[in-house]
Amino acid sequence: MLPDRLISYSVAGTFVVPHFLGEHDHPWLRSLLEEHERFIGRPQRDLDTRLRQPLPCESPPGKLKLAVQVLARLRPGHRSAAVVPPRRARSLVFVAAARASDASPAVLSKVAASLGVTVADLRDSLFADLPSERLVSAPGQPVSAAELALRSNLALVQGLLFYATVVRIEMEGNTRVLVRHAKWRGLICAVVARAVPADASLEISGPFALFRNTRLYGRALGELIPLLAWCPRFRAQAECFVDGRRLILQLATGDPIFPACAPRQYDSRIEERFAREFRRLAPEWDVVREPEPIAADRTLIFPDFALQHRSVPGRRWLLEIVGFWTPDYVARKLALYRKARISNLILCIDEARNCAAADLPLGALVVRFRRRVDPAAVLGAIRSAEQAVVD
Amino acid sequence: MRLRFDRGTILVIDPPSGGNLATAPGVLWDQRVRAYRAPASKYLALKRWLLASGVRFQDLSLRPRSPEEAWMDVDLRAYQEAALSAWELAQRRGVVALPTGSGKTRLALAAMQRTRLSALCLVPTRVLLDQWSREIGAVYRGPIGCYGDGVRRVATVTVATFEGAYRHMQEIGSRFDLLIVDEVHHFGGGLRDEALEMAIAGARLGLTATPPRDVAATACLATLVGPTVFELVIGDLAGGFLASFDAITLYLDLSREERSAYTNLSALFNGVYAESRRTAPDATWADFSQHCARTPAGRRALAAWRQMRRLLSFTHAKRRALRSLLERHRDSKVLVFTADNDTAYTIAREHLVMPLTCDIGRQERDDVLERFRCGDLHTLVSARVLNEGLDVPDADVAVIVGGALGEREHVQRVGRLLRPGEGKRAVVYELVTRNTVEVGQARRRRRGLVTRSSDQL
Repeated sequence: MLPDRLISYSVAGTFVVPHFLGEHDHPWLRSLLEEHERFIGRPQRDLDTRLRQPLPCESPPGKLKLAVQVLARLRPGHRSAAVVPPRRARSLVFVAAARASDASPAVLSKVAASLGVTVADLRDSLFADLPSERLVSAPGQPVSAAELALRSNLALVQGLLFYATVVRIEMEGNTRVLVRHAKWRGLICAVVARAVPADASLEISGPFALFRNTRLYGRALGELIPLLAWCPRFRAQAECFVDGRRLILQLATGDPIFPACAPRQYDSRIEERFAREFRRLAPEWDVVREPEPIAADRTLIFPDFALQHRSVPGRRWLLEIVGFWTPDYVARKLALYRKARISNLILCIDEARNCAAADLPLGALVVRFRRRVDPAAVLGAIRSAEQAVVD
Repeated sequence: MRLRFDRGTILVIDPPSGGNLATAPGVLWDQRVRAYRAPASKYLALKRWLLASGVRFQDLSLRPRSPEEAWMDVDLRAYQEAALSAWELAQRRGVVALPTGSGKTRLALAAMQRTRLSALCLVPTRVLLDQWSREIGAVYRGPIGCYGDGVRRVATVTVATFEGAYRHMQEIGSRFDLLIVDEVHHFGGGLRDEALEMAIAGARLGLTATPPRDVAATACLATLVGPTVFELVIGDLAGGFLASFDAITLYLDLSREERSAYTNLSALFNGVYAESRRTAPDATWADFSQHCARTPAGRRALAAWRQMRRLLSFTHAKRRALRSLLERHRDSKVLVFTADNDTAYTIAREHLVMPLTCDIGRQERDDVLERFRCGDLHTLVSARVLNEGLDVPDADVAVIVGGALGEREHVQRVGRLLRPGEGKRAVVYELVTRNTVEVGQARRRRRGLVTRSSDQL
């Protein structure tokens, strides 16, 4: 997390406005990257000294410090130029100094001679592993000025969200990834009334946030932000406690924030294979991956697929592939669907879980599978169910 | 109806209709999940309220007690027995304030052994995590859990760092009935207090050498752990259960160049600071520095203040005095305390003495302390790492070259020398620069050595 002094923002009424890096910052960011490149292989303190002097083009001091910090985090591991491993050098030199009655130079000479190195090398090795003495290394992957700006903005927003207690998000698309991540991090995702048309309107916070403003969840809330970048549209409002004031941080589609890795389209190979085979078997049906989430009892359910007949709009089925499960889990899931008044649901249950038929709640349209969901079986189940309605 | 531990809170599932749970202690309606919820720390109070109200409920599962045969007897000194009795009389909730070296950990071991409750011990640092595990292992044969330094292992007796507890109490907060908090003065200020609020433990013992003076922090600590139930200061035990010590302050001068630089810097800083005190007399240092960061003049003042501190941290006179003191106490075990890591490294390079800083890894740190104990190393220099909790048994000389954290830091530093030894008389040297801010700082920090800080007794 960023140190507070690097979080640059202004306050407008009740809103906190992060000072994003934009295109106008690219020239000095390029200079920074060039300087960094020049110092690769040299001690960090040399780079620090250089960066205390102005860059060739004007750079705002606060933003520069932020970008330097973000750039440093992109380096893989640490390297030192020690001739003698620093820990060994310290062990030998300080113990020898404690035993000897000689002055420091004599002790260093003796130890250096025993190691077969020069006194200067030994002296340089003593603390070569300190942060300021480590060698500057290149970032893991090449970084452009534009990417450094986006990464700095993400760090800035996450720094502010570290002080957030609750985030409200209205979004379209990618909801499932966001909700899953939030739940994995122990957050509560409550569905709230939608202020604007959106797939979902969520209020995300932690259990303890009910009792007081806490920073417990700030880090987890901050992790959601790069995931939002993959939503076609979103609007987020975070309540942050900054400088003892409750301020609102607003983010929306198009804000210059570095995105997370692209979410995977499928959660498993079973899902991927089913989609491929179903499309091949039934070309008159559209297979929609991750249809819009369904709100039920202040929570969201995410069917894996919607199967939509191309010429008959009324023929639409939702499908969930359930891998690990218990009867209780299936019962709760079905209860949620019932609360949402959804009846056109097919549950594909993994038989490898060895569940007896009696274990399954009644009234569920179930297709059992082993290793592979058979698209013909799904199609058959749809036809039987539709026929039953006609009869 | 049943109670469920949910990520640091107690969730009330299926409450009876008509029951007025909203009046139960700590309970609030959580609209997000449509259920009543209370902080885990209110568990006992909530349970008592439910029993008194005649509500039938399914409780959390019981926490296992540590087996009696796993514990060896823990003998206590008279004042430790008195402290433990005071804690028992306070319904096993409260803070015991004892000087460093007087055996606070021993008191905690006795509390665990006598109650046999499942216990979680919270310690501030990773180094202390190992130290506590070792001390518990010496009197307890059962498995010892650990949360911190990359390890996550729960047992009936577990040690966790503050940070580990803050991050994971939502998973382990329902596993313990006794919470022991070492250096408890770190709580009560809002930072990481949730670690204590998310635990259901009803029995709580806080340990410190320096209970907070601040009224708000004291009140908060009383809620989180309990009031101060027993307190002794260094003066009460020195010469008996603690080693006697001489405190010697060496007043030193700045060189002409240093004085000139100091005068210019302090003029720059004092102008802005005085103006700030005039317009906002109640502002804290944090308020002042935030305010300064917004204006060029303020930023210059803060930069001047930082330079002043750097200048005072290791002046020419301090350099000379330290050389002479290290020479004089060549055969003693010496701890040198500095204001910052840079000064610690400078001293380490100049005198070839081992620095102990946050940059030195855990294994090396353990190795260094072992070498110090066995006499391979005579001198250690540190800014903060040696300040608190760390057991450095044989040190008998301390040289305080600089410090920034005031009275509490000073008491803790002096405490490093006071573990008793046969005929031991420790010496504490303070290097103070005349006619600078250090004079006032030194005067203030010495107060804590002789006065009780709690007025609750």
